[in-house]
Amino acid sequence: MRYLIVLIIFPMNLLLANTHHDHGSHMHHEGHEHVHKSVDGTNTQIDESKYNDFIAGMSDAKIVKVDVKGMVCDFCARGIEKTFYQDKLVKKVDVDLSTGKVLIAYKSDKKINTDEIKNIFLDNGQTATNVVIIMEL
Amino acid sequence: MISISQNNLLGSNPCKLLFIIICFNISNNIDARPISWSGGSTIMYKSNFMMTSYYYHYSPSYKYSLGLEYIDDKHFDEKYVNFRTTYLLNRINTDNSQGNLYLTGSLSSESSSHYNYGFHGDWETRRIFTSFSFIDKNTNVRDYNESELQLGIAPYKGEYNDLHTWIMLKSKRDTINDQWDTYPFIKLFKGDFLIEIGTDNSHWDIHYMMRF
Repeated sequence: MRYLIVLIIFPMNLLLANTHHDHGSHMHHEGHEHVHKSVDGTNTQIDESKYNDFIAGMSDAKIVKVDVKGMVCDFCARGIEKTFYQDKLVKKVDVDLSTGKVLIAYKSDKKINTDEIKNIFLDNGQTATNVVIIMEL
Repeated sequence: MISISQNNLLGSNPCKLLFIIICFNISNNIDARPISWSGGSTIMYKSNFMMTSYYYHYSPSYKYSLGLEYIDDKHFDEKYVNFRTTYLLNRINTDNSQGNLYLTGSLSSESSSHYNYGFHGDWETRRIFTSFSFIDKNTNVRDYNESELQLGIAPYKGEYNDLHTWIMLKSKRDTINDQWDTYPFIKLFKGDFLIEIGTDNSHWDIHYMMRF
């Protein structure tokens, strides 16, 4: 009987999950990454569609992209948003588990310190391998 | 097998006891993520046929956590508070996976001869989760140890902020019952909330967790 209840809960959950995918507030992208020239002139890969959604309506901002290792679990990545939003100069954060990338929008007067950003990821349990300023709006 | 006798442990050297408290974490089960992010807190509720526990821990650093746990031990009919700590021995991050190895230990308010210590490890991708643990438990009634293995598969890859689902299989053995008990459970999480529900057809395993 108890196995039966668990077996009933599971498909109901899948149904809820699919509903969420259809109508959820979080945007999903299958990821068509393109080469983008960053502020320092180096080339970096970004998902143009996701990036355009992220910066829509934004101004006076610096956009930073971080490549992250070990970011495989939503529950374990919660601290990324929480920690960055403690900085009053952070306007927006987007975590993408499928590509292992995080976009951070800072206010334009923020002085970007890549070591500080890497340490935030380390404190959350992940490893930031590459931090790039990809745009100044 | 890890085994430290009570006499050796407490014998005349309180430093050994302190060492266990600080360096080894004590747990009653494998906890999903026994350490939070630096400055993060976690509340857990866990119930199975052996015990019910309420546990709060705080992580001053991503390397360790400190917490208090109230336990209603149904098997030995005891109620007590555990001081628990978990230390991250090693973490391996890759593009598609994360692996962790933890030491864990606890000391009970019941008496100084009431303590646990052990280790556990996990490895996961967005599709597969595996973990193991070994806990040596020392109580006022008798000493025993627990081993546990978990294997899980995610039927779909949830994105950030989605509802995530894992189909899990847990296998547990303790030296009291001296047999492996294997049963399925479901793990669901969304945002800061996680719940696990499982059954071996004779009892329920429930684990609830919230992070902040």
